[in-house]
Amino acid sequence: MSCNEFDWKGYALGELSKSDRARAEAHAAGCASCREELAATRLTLDALSTLREEEVPRRIAFVSDKVFEPRWWQRVFSFVSQPTFAAACVIAAAILLHGFASPKVDQQTVESIVTRAVADSRQKYERDMKAVLEQSQQEDRLAYIQNTGLVRQ
Amino acid sequence: MIFREVEDRDLIAKARRGDVEGYNLLVSRWEKRVFNYLLRLVANREDALDVSQDVFLKAYQNLPKLDDPAKFSGWLFRIAHNEAFSLLRKRRPESELVGDPRAAMERGLLPVELSLAVESALGRLNEDQREAVLLKIYQGFKFEEMAEILECPVSTVKSRLYTALELLKTALAPGLVRGES
Repeated sequence: MSCNEFDWKGYALGELSKSDRARAEAHAAGCASCREELAATRLTLDALSTLREEEVPRRIAFVSDKVFEPRWWQRVFSFVSQPTFAAACVIAAAILLHGFASPKVDQQTVESIVTRAVADSRQKYERDMKAVLEQSQQEDRLAYIQNTGLVRQ
Repeated sequence: MIFREVEDRDLIAKARRGDVEGYNLLVSRWEKRVFNYLLRLVANREDALDVSQDVFLKAYQNLPKLDDPAKFSGWLFRIAHNEAFSLLRKRRPESELVGDPRAAMERGLLPVELSLAVESALGRLNEDQREAVLLKIYQGFKFEEMAEILECPVSTVKSRLYTALELLKTALAPGLVRGES
C-alpha cells in the first residue's frame, strides 16, 4: 500500500504541479511501496499505449455530400451575411435616402433659376465691359491732354 | 498543438462563412480521433461509424454556436460523448466479454496479445470509467477539459479515472500489484 497523501496516478499522468512533483519524488526516494505503486501505474499506462488507433473504415460524409448540402435559406443567409454584400446595401440605401430626403424641384423652377442665372451673368458681363471701356476712354483723354500741353509748351 | 489550434481556428472561421472545403479539412483532421474514441466506447465498428457521421453533421449545424474556436476539440468530443451515450442508453445490457485479461498477462504476451488484453480489460470497465480512460489516455485531455466534455466536476472525473486505472492495473500489471505477486 502506498502512502495516501501522494497522488501517483496524477504524477504518472503529468497532472501534478512542479512543486507537488518534486515533493512526491523526494518522498519516493525513501519509500519502497510508493515506488512500487508508481511502477505498477506506469506499466498499466504503457500497456494501454499499445492499443493502436484504427483507420476509419470508410470516409465520413463531407459537407460537399448531399447530407450536408445547405438549404436555400441557409444559402441566402450565407450570401447576405457577406461583408461586400452588406457594403453594397449600405451604399444603395444611402443613395435612396438622399433621393427621398432632398427637396423636390419641378421643371418650371429649374428653368426660372437657369434664366435668372443667365441674366445675372449677362448683366455682370455688360457691367465689366462698360467699366473697361470707360477706363480706356479716360486713359485716352489723359494722354491727349498731356500731348496737347507739350505741343503748347 | 498550438499550430493545430491556430489552423483549426482558421478552418472554423472559413466553415462559418460557408466555405465547404474548410469544413471538409476539419473533418479530415478529426475523424480518426473521433472514430477511435467512439469505437472504444460503443465497442462496435458500424455503430462507431454511424455515430461519427452524426457527430460531424451536428458539429457542422451547430458551428455558429461555438463561442470559442480554441475550444473546438473539447466541444467536438462533447457532441461525440452525447451521441455515444444516447446510443448506449438505447442498447440492452452488454453481454459478457470473453477471455480473462489477467490470465493472458500472466502468460507473457506478444504485442498483439497485449493489445487484445488491453481491449478486453477496457471492455470490463463500466462506460463512465472507460470514457474517462479514453479521454485522458488516448485523447490527452486535461482534467478540466474532461470535466467540460462530461459536464461534471473535476473530482468526479478523477474518481472515475483513478478507479478505472486501479481495475486496469489489476488486470494488466498483476505482478506489480502489491500482495498479488
